[in-house]
Amino acid sequence: MIHFDNVTKVYANQNRPALDHVSVDVDKGEFVFLVGPSGSGKSTFLRLVLKEERPNSGSIHVAGKDLSKLSNFKVPHLRRRIGCVFQDFRLLPNKNVYENVAFALEVIGKPRRFIRKVVPEVIELVGLEGKAHRMPEELSGGEQQRVAMARAFVNRPMILLADEPTGNIDPATSIGIMKVLDRINRTGTTVLMATHDAAIVDSMRKRVVELEDGKIVRDQSRGVYGQAY
Amino acid sequence: MRANFIFSEVWIGLRRNLTMTIAVIVTVAVGMALLGVGLMINSQVSKLTGFWSDKVELSVYLCTKGSPFEPCKNRGAVTPEEKGTLEQTIKALPDVERVQFENQAQAFKNFQSTESNTLLLSVTKPEDMPESFRVKLKDPEKAAAVASSLKGQPGVSNVVNERDLLQSVFGFMDTLRNVALGIAILMVIAATLLIGNTVRLSAYNRRRETGIMRLVGASNIYIQLPFVLEGLIAGLIGGVLSGVILIIVKVFIFESIQTYMAAPLGWDTVAGVITGTMAVGVLICVLASFVTLRRYLRV
Repeated sequence: MIHFDNVTKVYANQNRPALDHVSVDVDKGEFVFLVGPSGSGKSTFLRLVLKEERPNSGSIHVAGKDLSKLSNFKVPHLRRRIGCVFQDFRLLPNKNVYENVAFALEVIGKPRRFIRKVVPEVIELVGLEGKAHRMPEELSGGEQQRVAMARAFVNRPMILLADEPTGNIDPATSIGIMKVLDRINRTGTTVLMATHDAAIVDSMRKRVVELEDGKIVRDQSRGVYGQAY
Repeated sequence: MRANFIFSEVWIGLRRNLTMTIAVIVTVAVGMALLGVGLMINSQVSKLTGFWSDKVELSVYLCTKGSPFEPCKNRGAVTPEEKGTLEQTIKALPDVERVQFENQAQAFKNFQSTESNTLLLSVTKPEDMPESFRVKLKDPEKAAAVASSLKGQPGVSNVVNERDLLQSVFGFMDTLRNVALGIAILMVIAATLLIGNTVRLSAYNRRRETGIMRLVGASNIYIQLPFVLEGLIAGLIGGVLSGVILIIVKVFIFESIQTYMAAPLGWDTVAGVITGTMAVGVLICVLASFVTLRRYLRV
């Protein structure tokens, strides 16, 4: 599903590479934690999957497509198959829960009938039934993140990228978020989650890829956050 | 493509940037109106030039008794023999199409019908009027050469190229047109920059929305279209206003000077000018939006 082959990414004006000869394979339906300290290259990894950045060398395949051969014109179609969740939720403050989720379908031109059908289903999936008409400011952080996950998943992507989704949320609420991610994963969606949260990684017992200074230092199935801790 | 979604985005954008949108509309309206006025003056001048170049003649005035012109001093009025040879000379010139003789009675009649100074009219007698040959040329451009060759002939007091008289009127209108076009160009530059700024503000105001649109895979057209449409609508409203201004200019200015203009400016020309300036206005707005988007809304 995601295939990195010897990928190196150096940002302009920086001598140290953000990613240094990284090779990873993520299969369809896997749940993978991407761990490592700040600046270790986790976000760069996710940005490369979305083709927001281009690697300096190496090749990246996502959903069977070679990204270096993908024209800019087709990048939006790639992104329709990838859902994204961020630490800061990125909801539209002037739209309610339903409208925030529907927005993702409206802007890719889905018919209204389809939107009316699938949006309530997804809102229920993330556990926000009955809150469709609340505004984001009326919701707790955990609830806002559920809205963001509903938006990321509403178009049934093949891959869900989560960049520190529990970073702004207390540990108790984080468990709920992880349950939703697990539920999404069980529908067959590949989940790739970058995180600092050792407790969550340890409790989930999923595959862990650890980055340090842009290099992969560990790739372990059913792993924990760090062996040293 | 969901039309109502796009249009609601456009409406939100225009409302959020209301002052900038109004600035764009006014600039486009004034700029395009000036461009239109320039074009209208231009077509008026070329119409007049065409009208007069058919009519323009050389007037070869002949000496009268006591004429103050230099060639006539120390001699009396032109003699019939001189008139006869002069007519033959003129007719023999290759550039001359036809020659007409105007006697004192005809000249006096023309003078009476065109002169409005009553005092001058009351003291002028037919004998004061000079006789003249009205020379129609095949090519009006040759007037100067013909005039100089006729100036030295005996009995000729003065040769006047009517074109020179019109030239001052045309010169004034040319200046007017150039000023209007010059200001129009400045306004077009101002409008372009303003639109660029408006679109940039609009893109900044909606960076959250566009960021999410990018993320969920909205196509570039879907992201950019609302911004370009904002420019287009502002340009269109400005264009319509400039059309109204041009109609007012036509009714109140061009109609009122029409009495002096032998060739009036028709409504068909005005309609053409309005269509042209509106197209230019809309085009500028759309192009400016598009170019700015390339810079500030990386997709």
